[in-house]
Amino acid sequence: MRGATILKASDDKTRELNKHTLMAFTGEVGDTVQFAEYIQANIQLYSMRNDTDLGPSAVANFVRGELARSLRSKKPYTVNLLLGGMDPITKKPSLYWLDYLAALAPLPYAAHGYAQYYCLSILDKHHHPDIDYEQGVKILRMCTDELKRRLPIDFKGMLVKVVDKDGIREIEYDDSKPVASA
Amino acid sequence: MDALVAQYSRPAFANEGYSEEEQQELSQATPPLSLKFALPPIARPAAFLRATTDDHANPNCPIKLAHGTTTLAFRFKGGIIVATDSRATAGNWIASQTVKKVIEINNCLLGTMAGGAADCQYWLAYLGMQCRLHELRHKRRISVAAASKILANLVYSYKGMGLSMGTMCAGVTPQEGPALYYIDSDGTRLAGNLFCVGSGQTFAYGVLDAEYHYDLSEEAALELGRRSILAATHRDAYSGGFINLYHVKEDGWVKHGFNDTAPIFWRTKMAGEFSNVTSELV
Amino acid sequence: MASLLHPNPAVASGPGYSFSQTPITAVAGNREHGFYPYTDNGGSTLGITGSDFAILAGDTRSTSGYNINTRYAPKVFRIGGDDETGAGAHLVLSVVGFAADGQALKERLDMVVKMYRYQHGKKMSVKACAQKLSTILYQKRFFPYYVHAILGGLDEEGKGALYSYDPVGSYEREQCRAAGAAASLIMPFLDNQVNFKNQYIPASGEGHALQARQPEPLPRHDVEQLVGDGLQMLVITKEGIEEIFEPLKKD
Repeated sequence: MRGATILKASDDKTRELNKHTLMAFTGEVGDTVQFAEYIQANIQLYSMRNDTDLGPSAVANFVRGELARSLRSKKPYTVNLLLGGMDPITKKPSLYWLDYLAALAPLPYAAHGYAQYYCLSILDKHHHPDIDYEQGVKILRMCTDELKRRLPIDFKGMLVKVVDKDGIREIEYDDSKPVASA
Repeated sequence: MDALVAQYSRPAFANEGYSEEEQQELSQATPPLSLKFALPPIARPAAFLRATTDDHANPNCPIKLAHGTTTLAFRFKGGIIVATDSRATAGNWIASQTVKKVIEINNCLLGTMAGGAADCQYWLAYLGMQCRLHELRHKRRISVAAASKILANLVYSYKGMGLSMGTMCAGVTPQEGPALYYIDSDGTRLAGNLFCVGSGQTFAYGVLDAEYHYDLSEEAALELGRRSILAATHRDAYSGGFINLYHVKEDGWVKHGFNDTAPIFWRTKMAGEFSNVTSELV
Repeated sequence: MASLLHPNPAVASGPGYSFSQTPITAVAGNREHGFYPYTDNGGSTLGITGSDFAILAGDTRSTSGYNINTRYAPKVFRIGGDDETGAGAHLVLSVVGFAADGQALKERLDMVVKMYRYQHGKKMSVKACAQKLSTILYQKRFFPYYVHAILGGLDEEGKGALYSYDPVGSYEREQCRAAGAAASLIMPFLDNQVNFKNQYIPASGEGHALQARQPEPLPRHDVEQLVGDGLQMLVITKEGIEEIFEPLKKD
């Protein structure tokens, strides 16, 4: 078996579903990528057939439906998801939180796993509805600094992707600097 | 032979009832906080205690003890800020929303309460007694280091017996300046600038770490303490109620209120924070 | 007492055992397996205080499982009375949970309060008694009294005082408290009606005036739904303790 070993430090735990929707996933090894790529294929199929992309809310509800169906199958997917997207028509950004029990919640900010315990209070305080991109990155920095400071495990770096009106892009995110603790 | 054994061994019921000494103790009107505890008449009292009172190990345990929850304290240039919530839970039941989790050991020393409510109340009261005795014997106030060590040694001597406490001792003394110690029932004792203890600790740390500096002004420090507890009460179901705020200075501690979280929350929300909470009726 | 003078007696001598020798059952081996000296005798208690009174009430049914042991077993006791009827008492204790532990606790506290009066020539204040009850409960931290206790009386200013306890002695002064089987149903009601929680117009929080010394009708109604047989109430005012017994449905 694999044991407690880091196999890869730069694993991309996201999939682009279409030009302006990105899905991040965690959960049971194997399930995650299988489920994400299954969703990705279906969303892409929809785009090809209809020559138009599904909006983020439509994608989110589709994913939720698939999770709910899987949950009632013989072997459910154990996958938790975050889905970020930009509506191509209204140009409104949106974020959806989904867990393996197929709960769906649209939220201004979200996290899964232990990050919730360390980051949500920071986001509660520093996120305001009208912040710009630079402020967003600054809050993200506060969150990753806190994880580095307090999380008893080293999560080996961050991969940051941005979804905006121009589509999806990965950004430089330097997290090599050590964080001082009080 | 059997007759001989019977003559010289005491029957099991010989231990029943109260001994002369115990009767004396029972009738003593005000015996001080003591270190004499009744134990169940079995070989492994700790296992018995775990089965009957530890709702973490056994959610169906019959005796649910009250537990404390989010507490924090941090050192800064103006002294030490101590803040707590006020909720006590027994299993999933909110036993009280008005617990005073800051225990005033004396006018310069504060203790905080997380874990078993009774354990903290009793042992911090006991610590208060020891601190007073130290004062009378040595004609000067006890250092925070010494006080915290009394508590740490004490709880360590009961290790494995099921005590549950995570406490902070905050005080200012002429020899140490502002001093802050974390003590828990595992026997940990740490000096530090900043601690959050309890089930809501991570949420409090999140807010506190992001804006903590040693050079905070008094006003900013109080606000940061309050806001950190608010963050924890918002996200942790086992924290809530009122925010209890204290500021420890050279000439003793000052209380900064015992305020309901609800109005503080809505005031904070109206300033643009907590944007995940909707205020419109859908 | 001597041990207290040592700076850290617990480290010097280890935890204090209240048993004079190793318990015999421990030697006997298998007999301790499944040692479980508790049972829940059911029932509920509740206390309400106001500016010049305190009420402690409890139902009088004692159960074990689905069996009813008796329909009249008081859970509310006078503490520090002159004789076995409890006349002359100024404090009231209610205990719910394991009745035998409750009885033992009541008797211990009663003795302490009586000895206090004998030794000091004055009545023990509720505040002192409350602290003492906490230490009594905590002495059995490792073999707890399976009880939720509520202590009532009048404080130094004549105001109603009520202290509630967890099984190992953490305590707090409150305006009202429900304990026992129906606590989860009575307490929210008390929060709303006594402390005006979740009411749009908050009131002072000071207790209501005791209308003709009649306890509030709604809690009684509430208790009636949940427990049976009889409701015993002890009303403490500066005139003394008045007992009211209200028969309830016997089903």
